[in-house]
Amino acid sequence: MLQDILVTGLVNGGVYALLAVGFSLIFGVARIVNIAHTAFYMLAAYLFYTLLVKVGLGFLLSALVAVGAVTLLSVLCYRLVIEPVREHDAAVLIATIALALIFQEVMLFTFGGHYLGIPSTLEGGVRLLGVSIPYQRLLILVVAAAMLSVVWFVLYRTRLGLAIRATANDLEVANLMGMNVHRVAMATVALSVALAAIAGVVVAPVFVVDPFMWLAPLVTMLAIVVLGGLGSLKGSLIGALIIGYVEAITVFALPAGAYLKGAVALLIMVVVLLARPEGLFGVAFEEER
Amino acid sequence: MIYPLRRAWGELRNEVFVLPSRTLVLLWGLALLALPLAYADAYVLRILTMTCIFAIFAASWDLLAGYTGQVNFGHALFFGAGAYTSALLSLRLGVTPWATVWAGAAVAALFGFGVGYLCLRLRGSYLSLATLAFPLIALGLLFAFPGFSGGELGISGLRRLVVSPTANYYVAAVSMLAIVFGLWLLADSRFGIVLHAIRDDEVAARASGINTLRYKLAVFAIAAAAAGFAGALFAHYLRVAGPSSLEVALSFQVVIWGIFGGLATIYGPVAAVFILYPLTEWLGSFRAVGELRLLIFAVIVLLVLLFMPRGLTPWVRDRIETQCPRCKQRNGSWKKICRLCGAALSEMKLNYRPR
Amino acid sequence: MLRSIVAVAAVALLAGGAHAQTLKIGILGPMAFVQGEHHWAGAEMARDEINKAGGINVGGKRMQIELIRGDTNEIQSVSDATNTIERVITRDKADFLVGGFRSEAVLAMQEVAMDYKKLFLGVGAAHSKLGANVEADYDRYKYWFRVSPTKDVDLARTLFAVLGSIGQQIRTELRTDMPKVAILAEKAVWTEALVGAAQKTLPGLKMEVVGTWQPSATATDVTAELSAIDRAGAQIVFTMLSGPVGISVGRQMGERGMKAVAWGINVEGQKEEFWQAAAGKAQFVSTLDTYSEVEMTPKTIPFVKAYKARYNKMPTYTASTYDAIMILKAAIEQAGTTDADKLVPVLEKMEHVGAGSTLTWDKRHDPVWAVGKTAGIAVQWQDGRKVPFWPPNVKGMQPFKMPAR
Repeated sequence: MLQDILVTGLVNGGVYALLAVGFSLIFGVARIVNIAHTAFYMLAAYLFYTLLVKVGLGFLLSALVAVGAVTLLSVLCYRLVIEPVREHDAAVLIATIALALIFQEVMLFTFGGHYLGIPSTLEGGVRLLGVSIPYQRLLILVVAAAMLSVVWFVLYRTRLGLAIRATANDLEVANLMGMNVHRVAMATVALSVALAAIAGVVVAPVFVVDPFMWLAPLVTMLAIVVLGGLGSLKGSLIGALIIGYVEAITVFALPAGAYLKGAVALLIMVVVLLARPEGLFGVAFEEER
Repeated sequence: MIYPLRRAWGELRNEVFVLPSRTLVLLWGLALLALPLAYADAYVLRILTMTCIFAIFAASWDLLAGYTGQVNFGHALFFGAGAYTSALLSLRLGVTPWATVWAGAAVAALFGFGVGYLCLRLRGSYLSLATLAFPLIALGLLFAFPGFSGGELGISGLRRLVVSPTANYYVAAVSMLAIVFGLWLLADSRFGIVLHAIRDDEVAARASGINTLRYKLAVFAIAAAAAGFAGALFAHYLRVAGPSSLEVALSFQVVIWGIFGGLATIYGPVAAVFILYPLTEWLGSFRAVGELRLLIFAVIVLLVLLFMPRGLTPWVRDRIETQCPRCKQRNGSWKKICRLCGAALSEMKLNYRPR
Repeated sequence: MLRSIVAVAAVALLAGGAHAQTLKIGILGPMAFVQGEHHWAGAEMARDEINKAGGINVGGKRMQIELIRGDTNEIQSVSDATNTIERVITRDKADFLVGGFRSEAVLAMQEVAMDYKKLFLGVGAAHSKLGANVEADYDRYKYWFRVSPTKDVDLARTLFAVLGSIGQQIRTELRTDMPKVAILAEKAVWTEALVGAAQKTLPGLKMEVVGTWQPSATATDVTAELSAIDRAGAQIVFTMLSGPVGISVGRQMGERGMKAVAWGINVEGQKEEFWQAAAGKAQFVSTLDTYSEVEMTPKTIPFVKAYKARYNKMPTYTASTYDAIMILKAAIEQAGTTDADKLVPVLEKMEHVGAGSTLTWDKRHDPVWAVGKTAGIAVQWQDGRKVPFWPPNVKGMQPFKMPAR
């Protein structure tokens, strides 16, 4: 049982990490709580399904087009919907909720409320430590690790990354220093949604696709990001692993309580917040006066 | 006998009729009460009853989120707590619903106190996201004890407070008017000023000697009590108290209503509910559009937000009223001088955009 | 002057008369989802068949059926459902109500229907409380009749009957005395009693329960549960799943190449889309079902064929609105009136041979359970098709298959 927990927790944690890092990035830089983050993940999954199953493009091409299209869409949404109301936090919040609802309804209208299955990119599995793991899950882990490395590289080794970090640190000073804050915000949005879209493409074959698939990961992802600390990428990663393991332990230790794994994860988040109000590695924001 | 009437008329003339917004509210309140006399269609009454119940819910959220700045993403917890408490007491113990709705409000207030306590040290987005967790944890607990809570079916077979649709409508409408007015009075009082202070700068408020903890907890409890009352009314009207009263969708819905209507107004979310809920219901009755109604709802919300980022009612108010630059009181926009301090309003109106 | 009055009166009479010529039946269901689609499709089939034959004979007068589409959206909101049923009754003036799916919503809708004393034939919700209400307060709830499915408690009897026969097949093929069964039931009220019953009954059937796993109904990942079930060496996975977790189970069992076979209730597995949703991996998943091209009754095969020809898919159990409307027709023609109070005793004594079942009602207005009559059938997914395999003595049944070892 220990091996089951070790492996399952790691694989699920990897999935969550992909989603959480994107969300954390956008919050840290643009102070936007993007409720529609997992809705983009859902859009990418649907687009991937359409291209792969209905149109018949190959895996790689479908994936690339799906990720690219969703990223473009996100930048468009940001320009049209979010940017005009940037100063009003409350308005941004429900703008993203409204966006998510719109995506959900459009998918519901186009594809119906049925559950769809996307064929796996890789068939078959391997036995690791006595636990059978399908190759698709390993692929997810590999992609997650690769994406996180790319994000790290962009943030810490490129000029754009420097600008992003500077803007996250102090928006006004970065603006004064001549960085185009709007462009940086757009780039961050693109990067973050691209991560969500990649998650959609690799993860969706493992789960079922339906217009409401964005709600459950949203809650888990929020729990992870809050637990790890909003704005901290390291925190999101560690938070993802913690939640992944907590869920695995819940299911293995309490088979009759498997349905509680979501509630337990949230409980952990609440407990951590009580002890550390900014999450494990969170940055406490100075109130802007 | 004559004197109280003259006092009342004086109040009306000096406090209500001077401002177009307040006159509108008075007219709306009267229309609401007079409606069943003119038009007693059961379906319309049902829609309006639900609207009144949700209006209480939305107003309670605004007290918490708009005034104190604690944007609660799990307000449905209090709604559900009120619903389930009232349901359990009236069904299992046979207590009359007229008493159990108050018990529901009381238990919800306790929940509010608890959540407020747990969230005392949290700020901003952390608080919002933490509050999201509580209804979900409660849902997990409800599913864990299905014998007690009825699991995914909830508790059914409840008695109504009153039987006929018209009577139910009046119960909901009168409760709504009373509670919303009460909340508005609270927010417009010294208590409300303290809440504003806490939202804008809690450290400064504390430095001025205000016990912010007490106020924050009190607001959580009051808002939760109102939401719980609404939840109990909901349960007895539908005769079922189920997990749908705790869903994330409901919490998100009240956030949308609150922000769409205008934060920190109390009447804003009420207006939002009265506009949006019947609208979506009406759209739902058409076959072609019906399936798209949530989409249309979201698009409307988005569009309104783009043009009125502070919400609907502040925008409308700005059109029909102006704020006096000297004494900061509101006047009808057609007026040339302020009704209270006599300062000139007209040329100021051209350059001055109140925040 | 007199002539115009007569003309107006004639027009009014005709218009009023024409209006009164149709019998309005409200079809309630989540129309944007599969269940509602089948509700409506089954009803349309019934309406067209009856109207083409001349309509319903109400005490000598022929009336056509008019369907009212009530999109309850009950999956997303219970209050939407109650709003819809009120509208269908008061605005659209429905005479009868058919449908419903989500038990929590149907309980609320039942209250509204009983307030207005309208006959409500349930097609979709299995919860026994709906019938218990009839017994507890007959005068109020007598207008409720459940057409489909059988109540949740009776489902257990069918499940155990089939489980017994599968267990016997395992005993002979795998040469083991006590087949190992893993119970995989979603956490829900409707499974509580079933799980308890299974744990008590299975040892009596000479089967060993190796464990009980209860994921959430909307769980998308059951690898943890399946790993544990694998480790326990189970040969049968006894499923009680109504949500999308059923798809995940089917798919992930196939992906892991599990040797155990899944049998039980898997509502998603009853749908045509299941195979695609499980990405073609759900081989050997078996579930309780209602319609297949087998001769449960003389009407089954013609109905299923006509349905498939018209809508391009097999009916699911919510298509029993067809049977519900046929039952209404039979009752109205027998009683000679559309008055609900007079129809109730007629319905109570009725035996109706429908397309999905041969129906009689008990005093709770629930279908009486009997194998071959209302117990349903068992189907198994083999190579992309649902193959019926139980009850074995009915014409058209095929053998049950198991994964190669």
